[in-house]
Formats: sequence, structure tokens, C-alpha cells
Amino acid sequence: MKVAVFGLDSVPPEMIFEKLLDKLPNIKKMYQKGIHGPLRTCHPPITVPAWMVMMTGKNPGKLGIYGFRHRKNNSYNEGYIVNSTHIKEKTLWEILAERGKKSIVIGVPPSYPVRHLENVTIVSCFLTPSQEKDFTNPPELKEEILRLTGGKYLFDVTFRIEDRESIKKELFEMTQKRFDVAEYLAKKQDWDFFMLHEIGFDRLHHAFWKFFDPDHPKYVKGNAYEKIDEEYYEMVDARIGRLMDLFQEDCTTFLLSDHGSAGMKGAFCVNEWLERVGYLVFKSKPHDKVEIEKAEIDWAKTKAWGWGGYYARIFFNVKGREPQGIILPEELEKEKKRLTQLILSITDQRGRQMKNHVFEPETLYGTAIGDKPDLMVYFDNLFWRSAGTVGHKSIYLDENDTGPDDSVHSMDGIFLMYNPQKNEKRNSIKARAEDIAPTILSLFGIRDGLNDLDGKILQEAIF
Amino acid sequence: MVKYTTVSIPLNLHKRIEKLLEGKSGFKSVSDYVTYVLREVVTMHETKKLPEPFNINDLKELKERLVALGYI
Repeated sequence: MKVAVFGLDSVPPEMIFEKLLDKLPNIKKMYQKGIHGPLRTCHPPITVPAWMVMMTGKNPGKLGIYGFRHRKNNSYNEGYIVNSTHIKEKTLWEILAERGKKSIVIGVPPSYPVRHLENVTIVSCFLTPSQEKDFTNPPELKEEILRLTGGKYLFDVTFRIEDRESIKKELFEMTQKRFDVAEYLAKKQDWDFFMLHEIGFDRLHHAFWKFFDPDHPKYVKGNAYEKIDEEYYEMVDARIGRLMDLFQEDCTTFLLSDHGSAGMKGAFCVNEWLERVGYLVFKSKPHDKVEIEKAEIDWAKTKAWGWGGYYARIFFNVKGREPQGIILPEELEKEKKRLTQLILSITDQRGRQMKNHVFEPETLYGTAIGDKPDLMVYFDNLFWRSAGTVGHKSIYLDENDTGPDDSVHSMDGIFLMYNPQKNEKRNSIKARAEDIAPTILSLFGIRDGLNDLDGKILQEAIF
Repeated sequence: MVKYTTVSIPLNLHKRIEKLLEGKSGFKSVSDYVTYVLREVVTMHETKKLPEPFNINDLKELKERLVALGYI
């Protein structure tokens, strides 16, 4: 029994099961003979923590991970970026390793700094600062990888949107090299579980969505990158085919993604809005764009502030918790409810009701440990990203305040499971990110001791 | 008198080292060679600090990359 997983970051079902399926012969064969469906991701629908939710079977609240970046304790301006040392729950390859099963794990985030585990070969993810670092387990694998890739292994692309041609070149080079490493390892060593995560799709979507999606507000017909999605997806499909030729007949292969992607409609200036509704007060209102951390906020009069990103985090300024907190702890629930109602009534610049969602971590997850926000907000079903900067003339931006303005995240990624020994098309299923780890472990006959996982075994997938 | 203990290495690795040592003087056995190599490696770790997983520049660059990608 072997299991292989291709983790195709940010790939939405609409792209791979619909628009491009006929151009992807290897994936199409798996689709026609296997079982597929949307994969409902976690809240929030972000690479970190979604892959770890899939690989541990535990929700973000249990992991204590709510995005790439967290607030440091209850500070106003200090934050930290999540890395592998923040993951305290066991991944499925760690559980397999305890039972003597061997795994190869390439690029699954966050996997830097590298954990030097027995029975697990690791190549770390795009959070690795450079190839100068210790990025493999075992450590000597690093030299083999550098030899294999001509001295240059790419963890990520250099994301400067003013030079899309360089992004394209690096994107293809990075992915080809990662598949070269994957083939090398798959041939070289015995394994029971094999996982390759490819971040390239996410970079493709964020850099090029408005070029290849005719429905994007900024799409221009006949542009130079109109077919870049086809080119990239086709290239990866061919490499997946080559890699699967190395897998044996008893290998079940999964294609998964951590969330979907969609065209961005706009950016909502959450802090500008909080000022307008009286929750945030400036000592000196900025007239030019500035990050919220650098703005002069009158904390003694401010009740809440927010963060930008693919979703908004809201933090309240609580007495006894924040350094200059003003909301009494017993008033916090009332303040949350009041602000929630205000958020739900926000309209877009044309006066249309935005379909906003507001979550409290404890309600979402049951338990919510670590540096969680007070509220999590999705603007207009995630079609509007959150802009955390201030100094704008409007609360609505049709361009991103910081990064690219091409794509946003959506709640459904992909689930595709193909067992070459079961050659029949089966019904589409609805899976959740938390279900992946228990389902894969059950394929190895491991069901005991998994009671504290939040996901369930996808019975319809394995029988 | 130096005391010794037994350490296991995979058979394949042992064979590769034997091949490496063929015709070479200086190392009397695989154990001899392995002891030499490990002593060097352990000393290096003991006397020279390993690179930190993230230095200040790494963190700065990572944050800039996440901003450029729209995560912040």
C-alpha cells in the first residue's frame, strides 16, 4: 500500500475539473477513473494553515495558526511569521514514521526550519530563506539536490509584479526543478507515503489571473499572457504523468489543493472604515498611504483596528489586555456584536450590500489557542480583499494597496483520489480539509488513536 | 586505553565506503574512516555556530515577500 499526494496550491475546481481538463491528459485520466469533488478548506482559506489542517486533521484553532502572520501576544504593532516550529500537532507522516512507514515530503508548508526526523525525507518549503540554509532531512541530501538542479534550487519566485516576464521564467524553472527532485527521490529511495507540494500555481494565479481570466475586471483581450494558465497547467500535468509512471499499481494518488482562486473585485480599507464608524482614532490622520503599524493612532481613544490580507483580522483594544486598552472586559462581547452588525451592513461603492461574513475563532473552532484575532472577517464572500493601510481617500480601492490585484482566495479547493486498481468512475464527494489526514491514515490501516482529530474518514472514498 | 562502542550504518553505505577506500592508504578500515569523518563533523558543529534558521534579513525579506503576495 502506497499513497502519493500532489499538493497543487490554490487550484480551484473550476480550472482543473472544467476549463482546462481537456488539455490535461494525465489529470483527466485520474478524473475519469477516480473520485473527485470540491475540497472545502478551513477558515481562513490560506496556504498556512490549510496544508497543516489537511496533514494533521486538526482545525486552525487547535493548531493555533490563523494565517502566515500573527500578532505577538497583545501588542499593537509587533508580529511574527509562522514557521515549522509553530506546528505542535503530529502530521500524518510523523504518525506513519512512528509505525515504521517511510515518507518523502517535498515543499509542504510550513516545513522550514527542517525537522530532522527518522523515516521522513524532507525538502523544505517556500518559507526557506535561501539554499545556503539547512533545507533537507537528511542534511546531506542538500548537496545532492544542488548537484541535480545545477547549483540553484528555487523555493519560490521573486515576486515583483512590475516584471512579469521574470516571474514567468522563474515559475517554470522552479516547478521543473522541483519535479526533477521529486523524480530523483521517488526513484532513489523506498517510500510508503510521497507528497509533493507545488507553490507555483498560487504564484501563477496571484501574478497572472487578470491576464488569463476573461471575467476579471481588468482583463484585456489579446494580452501576452492570455494562455499562461494553460501552458503552466499543461507542463505540470506532463510532469505528474512522468512521476506517476514511477509509482506502482498499488499506489493511490491524490490531487489536493488548499483553497480555490477567483478574480479580485476590489480591496476594502478596513482601518479607514473603522475610523469612519468611530472605532479607530488617529492622533494625526495620514494623507498618504501608510501601513497601520506606522500610523499615529490614539490608542487611548481607539476601540479596534484591523489587518489587511485575503481576509481581515480585527483586534479590540481591551483594558488589562492591550497596553492602553479601553474596552472593559465585561463589555467586550457587546462590542463584538455591535461591530459585527456594522460589518454585516457594509455596502460597496455602488450601494450594493456586501456579502460579508464575521467569525469568532472560539465559535468556529471550539478551541482557539495561540495568537488568535478577536474577529475574522471575509468581505463580500472573499471577493474583496482587506486593505490594512490608511491614508486613502476612499474606503474602496479597485487596486490592491500592497501587492498584486489579480486574484483572491475562495473556500473550495480540489479533491481527486485515483486508485489504478479500481478502474471505475465513482461519484463526486464533498470533502473537508480536516478529512484528509484521517482518510490517508485509514488507507494504511491506521484508525486508532485518532479520536482527537477534527476530520473524519471519507468512507465513500475508500470503499 | 580508548573504549569503543558499536554504531550501525546501512549495509549499502558500508559497501560504498569500502569501494572508496580501495587502493587508498591511510585508512585501515571502514571504522577508521568513519571515525575520522565523524570526528571532523562533530568538531565543526561544536566549534562553529550553525547558521540560524532566520536572521534579521531573512525575516525582513520574508515579510516583504508576503506583502508583495498580498498576504499582509
